[in-house]
Amino acid sequence: MSQAPLIQSAGDANEPRHVKRRTPLAVRGEPMLWLTGMALTACIFMIVALLGIVLWNGFATFWPRDIHEVKLDNGSVFLGVPTREESYDPGPARLADIRAESETLPAGSLDDKGLPKRRLYRVGNKEVTGQPFQWVDLMDIESIEEPKDVVLLERTEWGIWLGTPETILLKEERFIPATADGGIPLEGMTQTKWGERRFEREILESTDEGARVIERTYVAETGPDVWELLPEMHRDADKRRARIKSLNKHDVGFINMKMERARLAFREVQLQHEDGKVSDERLAAARATFEEKQETLEAEYEELLEEIRELERIDDRYRIVVRDPTSGAFAPRAQTEPDEPMRLSQIVRVVRANDLGVGGRLGVYFSRWWEFVSEEPREANTEGGVFPVIFGTVMLTILLSIIVVPFGVIAALYLREYAKQGLIISMVRIAINNLAGVPSIVYGVFGLGFFCYTLGNYIDNGPTNPWSPGMWWVGSVGTVVILLCAAVIGALGRPTPGQPPTRRNKILGGAAMMLWLGTLGLFIALIAKSPFFDGFFPARTTFGTKGILWSALTLALLTLPVVVVATEEAISSVPGSQREGSYGCGASKWQTIRRIVLPSAMPGIMTGMILAIARGAGEVAPLMLVGAVKLAPELPFEPYFPYFHLERSFMHLGFHIYDVGFQSPDSEAARPVVWTTTFLLIVVVVTLNLAAIAFRARLRKRTRGGAF
Amino acid sequence: MTRTETSTAPTMDEQTHTSEAESAVKTRRVEMQSRDAQPAPDPSEFAVIDAIRRGETVPATIHDAVEDEPHVLNVQNFRLWYGAAQALFDLNMNIPRGKVTALIGPSGCGKSTFLRSINRLNDLIPSVRTDGELLLNGEPVYAPDVDVIDLRKRMGMVFQKSNPFPMSIYENVVYPLRIDGERRKSVLNEVCEKALRGAAIWDEVKDRLHQPGTGLSGGQQQRICIARAIAAEPEVLLMDEPCSALDPIATLKIEDLISEIGQRYTVVIVTHNMQQAARVSDYTAFMYLGRLVEFGPTAELFQNPKLPETEQYVTGRFG
Ligand SMILES: Nc1ncnc2c1ncn2[C@@H]1O[C@H](COP(=O)(O)OP(=O)(O)O)[C@@H](O)[C@H]1O
Ligand SMILES: [Mg+2]
Repeated sequence: MSQAPLIQSAGDANEPRHVKRRTPLAVRGEPMLWLTGMALTACIFMIVALLGIVLWNGFATFWPRDIHEVKLDNGSVFLGVPTREESYDPGPARLADIRAESETLPAGSLDDKGLPKRRLYRVGNKEVTGQPFQWVDLMDIESIEEPKDVVLLERTEWGIWLGTPETILLKEERFIPATADGGIPLEGMTQTKWGERRFEREILESTDEGARVIERTYVAETGPDVWELLPEMHRDADKRRARIKSLNKHDVGFINMKMERARLAFREVQLQHEDGKVSDERLAAARATFEEKQETLEAEYEELLEEIRELERIDDRYRIVVRDPTSGAFAPRAQTEPDEPMRLSQIVRVVRANDLGVGGRLGVYFSRWWEFVSEEPREANTEGGVFPVIFGTVMLTILLSIIVVPFGVIAALYLREYAKQGLIISMVRIAINNLAGVPSIVYGVFGLGFFCYTLGNYIDNGPTNPWSPGMWWVGSVGTVVILLCAAVIGALGRPTPGQPPTRRNKILGGAAMMLWLGTLGLFIALIAKSPFFDGFFPARTTFGTKGILWSALTLALLTLPVVVVATEEAISSVPGSQREGSYGCGASKWQTIRRIVLPSAMPGIMTGMILAIARGAGEVAPLMLVGAVKLAPELPFEPYFPYFHLERSFMHLGFHIYDVGFQSPDSEAARPVVWTTTFLLIVVVVTLNLAAIAFRARLRKRTRGGAF
Repeated sequence: MTRTETSTAPTMDEQTHTSEAESAVKTRRVEMQSRDAQPAPDPSEFAVIDAIRRGETVPATIHDAVEDEPHVLNVQNFRLWYGAAQALFDLNMNIPRGKVTALIGPSGCGKSTFLRSINRLNDLIPSVRTDGELLLNGEPVYAPDVDVIDLRKRMGMVFQKSNPFPMSIYENVVYPLRIDGERRKSVLNEVCEKALRGAAIWDEVKDRLHQPGTGLSGGQQQRICIARAIAAEPEVLLMDEPCSALDPIATLKIEDLISEIGQRYTVVIVTHNMQQAARVSDYTAFMYLGRLVEFGPTAELFQNPKLPETEQYVTGRFG
């Protein structure tokens, strides 16, 4: 079509060519340019949109927003933090009503289509409202104010509380000796470290010597006083709380661990005794040691408990009254005790949102982020932090790389450097590449079935039905014989140097290969069926269940093809001339691999590792089966020996997103956590990748620089 | 004739050549262009070449001077096959000790193959099969109990394409010692300096020993490779067209170097360049289609060869 004029004008070669002729569009390929450009733009748009949404939501979550005091047309008043707005369809009847009186409704309460708009308020105060979120029709709102003295309390339990702080008091039950005239002052002033303060007493029971009273000392009774004293007192309370927590967790945990070890040691002897392997005397001795140990540990425990109780008692004295204007109730110490004001230490953070400037808001914002990344989760994972989750994710990924990289590199080395390239090796290579396409949940099922239940159970309890000792010994001797045969036949079958293998070489080599494989199989069978091994943890399931080690192994398997393929590629791109040079210097094959091939291939290997990390760190499905849990009681790492507990289950960011977002009872409260966690997952994966990339760049500089 | 004119021998991909005579003859055209326009006589006039082309075994013409020298290598009836294709036929030659021996001959006549047979680098190619004897200092190279690694350590090799390793200059040079497990800094330093001086590149790189060799010119890289090859004090230095990828100036430097090294080591050098062979070597062997044709002192071979075909070849009238 468009080529016709081209041919025509070329008719007479002597005629000067017309200069202005245009090459047709299709020939110049302009449309292809547009098409490819559009495709790229679409890709970039999707990436930017994805990152943008996650970033925006992830970043916005922790920004402290204003607290509204909303007065409704029906006269009720409540405090709430506006969360989002939407138009909704209230049904035809109601809609008709609304349209009829639309003139009188406040501006902005209907959208363009005439549908009513409503706003979701986070009202908190779960103890009195019952539900922490509440929809309000914009047309029902009479007025909105933003009083400066209202606060948003983030509490350790029961979510947020919105209200006005009124008093800080010390509440204490104590014994007061009677004064000279036999009375006990029920009111008065007393000296505290904050100055002269008013106190009230309530007598519980009195005797001649004095009385047990409940004493309330009002440290701060006005808003400004509260504000002045609160920061410092809160800090002290936090310190006490942290100390109690640390005692409970580490010191008690340490004693518990020692107790558990003693118990397990005794239980093992007991089990052996049941099997008849241990005499009665030894059992009795073991019991005696165990009981003695138990006693000392219990004494230690009592002492510790006493210290904790004392701290708790002090902690319980510091109270704050924050009143909700709607119900008039104050934030309680516990849901069942509406008359007890909450403890100061139950406050995580006080946000006086309406009174904060940008600086103050930034402070709150960053302190919330810090809490998020450094603390443990609270309230069914919807509040608090995700430190254990980050820790679990990072540790899993590192463990996974530690396992998969050496394994994959060694496999690739064999495939490329040692194996004779042929049909079998091609098939192996294809099989490995296809492993990459297996759905990840399949790996999860395999991991659960093989690692957890088979391997883990073996480690815990030993073989399920072992061979008899006689049979085992026969098997061992057989294995050694086959091994020797394999070695001898292999040696006989080696081709003469400088000569290609003969038929005899090939047959003998094949036979030796089969014998080697047989030896390997028998060896595994000998281990799996050994009658002399009863497992390391017969008393309690340790490895035979979900764990970070099994997860790392499962993911290593999943990412193995990536590493193998990348390494193979890197190895085969090392120039043959360098290998020849090395051999020419008298280097052995292994020396050539180690000194020439591997260093040059290192960046490629790192690329494989980066890809493996990228794939492994974001994987969730297999982890749900082999290791990730909703709430792990302990990290897989402890500051005392043996430090790493690879048998423990762990928390993982990917699984956490799924769990918080879709398994949580309070999805509205969980929504922000989902965004921030998603954001964190991206950050963790990107950080790990960047670290690997930086490492690779350094390696490249070292080797590439030397590559002449 | 000036040196620079002829010193750039064509780089050819050896793998693409067949051992057939026709192609071997064709590939010499480049050399011939620089000669005077005298018409090349038909090679079929020559009895020896003719016989070789017909596949007959012709005893090589070996000058007495070669046999009178003490020998480091004795090649006896050496044959080599790549799979089914034979590349070397009944080679019989003795390489003099402490001299420079040049191997010349048209492309694909088996010079590289022979050179690589000496240090058994051909073992790396699975299809290679050999026959006959190759003795290094009287000991067989191809006996089953020979330690190939130790054998290669006794020889240095310089390749056609310079192949420095991806590490610093220093590490490149001391590589043969490193793989031997040498760790003493003093020894390594000494060897490094000596080898680099030996390769006439010490002054150029002494300030950047621990830097990677980026920025070194092709000639410098090749001299680093030579330094590496002589670092372990080899008994024999094997060089396979060491200058073919270099510019004239670099070639000059390397040639001077070879003449100098030749005073201390036995050097076997493959070259495509007659002038180079004439300049650097003491003895020259002319090979054709996998067979040795004539072997004698360089001066004699170039000025007064016994066979007319040798004369034709060295003067460039037949390739
Ligand atoms: N790796 C190899 N596999 C098969 N044939 C080869 C191989 N290397 C060289 N040859 C053949 O052996 C013959 C001699 O080659 P080569 O020794 O490289 O010649 P030259 O170095 O003299 O040019 C040629 O015919 C070539 O095709
Ligand atoms: Mg060659």
